Amino acid sequence: MMRTAVAVFTVLLAAPALLAVQWPEGQAAGVPRNADGSPNLGAPAPRAPNGKPDLSGVWRPERNQQCPPDGCPDNQMSEHFLDLGWGMKDGLPYQPWAAALVKSRSARNGADDPTSHCFPGGIVRLHTYPTYSKILQTPGLIVVLSERETTYRQIFLDGRPLPVDALPTWKGYSTGRWDGNTLIVQSSGFRGDAIWLDRKGSPLTDAAAIIERFRRVSYGRMEVEVTVNDPKAYTRPFTVVLNEFLEPDMELMDFVCLDISRDAPDLIGK
Amino acid sequence: MARLTACVLATAVVLGSSTHLIGAHHSFAAEYDPKKPVTLSGAVTSVEWTNPHVRFRVDVKDASGSITQWEFTMGAANGLLRRGWRTTMLKPADTITVDGYLARDGSRVANARFVTLSDGRKMSGGTVPDAPDK
Repeated sequence: MMRTAVAVFTVLLAAPALLAVQWPEGQAAGVPRNADGSPNLGAPAPRAPNGKPDLSGVWRPERNQQCPPDGCPDNQMSEHFLDLGWGMKDGLPYQPWAAALVKSRSARNGADDPTSHCFPGGIVRLHTYPTYSKILQTPGLIVVLSERETTYRQIFLDGRPLPVDALPTWKGYSTGRWDGNTLIVQSSGFRGDAIWLDRKGSPLTDAAAIIERFRRVSYGRMEVEVTVNDPKAYTRPFTVVLNEFLEPDMELMDFVCLDISRDAPDLIGK
Repeated sequence: MARLTACVLATAVVLGSSTHLIGAHHSFAAEYDPKKPVTLSGAVTSVEWTNPHVRFRVDVKDASGSITQWEFTMGAANGLLRRGWRTTMLKPADTITVDGYLARDGSRVANARFVTLSDGRKMSGGTVPDAPDK
């Protein structure tokens, strides 16, 4: 008992800010709550007026990476942020050139990561980068606002096909449709030489097609099954399941890392 | 690896002729030396609530009364606010104490591991050695 008490006290000393109250304080309206006022994140997923599952809200990626003894950093991360193949027996199925590229990128410890240079992260990293996103859902369009570089993503639900000549962009072009309680989103039109899927440098090419299956399994959790089909970089399509968690009392706060321009000379990666 | 004090630093740390305040870096290990902890106290002169790192500067007075300006970096502003920080906690003229790690290049820059505010509260700076870079 005493040992436990000492351990708890030690943890409290080591991480004094952990008990502090997050900003903004206060409670959002319309959120199911427990008796103590905390959000009831296990409540059923809400429905939109048209009967479809409502994905709206402020979401953050999973935080399953263990914190160092000194305490957690400012934005605790998911393992998939570092390695999208985390949990896969043999990792991602790289083509030989992609495997060599990832090895060289990893050796530089992320110094060349586009997000380290304040470029957008792409749609896969939107699910793993430890900043928050806000989903706005209408019957014909879903918009994802991201703190990360203050960017947006559009998912068209109006039945349009994916364009064959879209401007290659960081987030590509996305269309979606509902299949029961699952939103199936297909995307293509990605920049061919600039998008990393994770911090270790797993590439995405202009040949890529990505399918995401969004399923809000409860009020507080959304499962996103991501299938990447990029035959230029990978020997076969692969699928990972990522979790996002609702932050019902949270607001977006801009994360524009222009500050980094002062850091550029120091981006040596070690 | 004895913990350095401001007084010791004033005489022991060899600073370059330049007084520039270099930028921080996404990676702790790239810029700071976990084997060089430092504790410094003084008056805040400026604060930048920016991403990916919050920066603030402190005038540190040594035993002889001379003042040197130090720059400290913390984690991302939005992450810190979600971990209990408020922008009102750190203002010019506040007297604070910072526990951190010195920059590898010998400049008057350090990572702020913990900040003891003027009211005595001790806050995490949100950047820790060995944490993966973001």
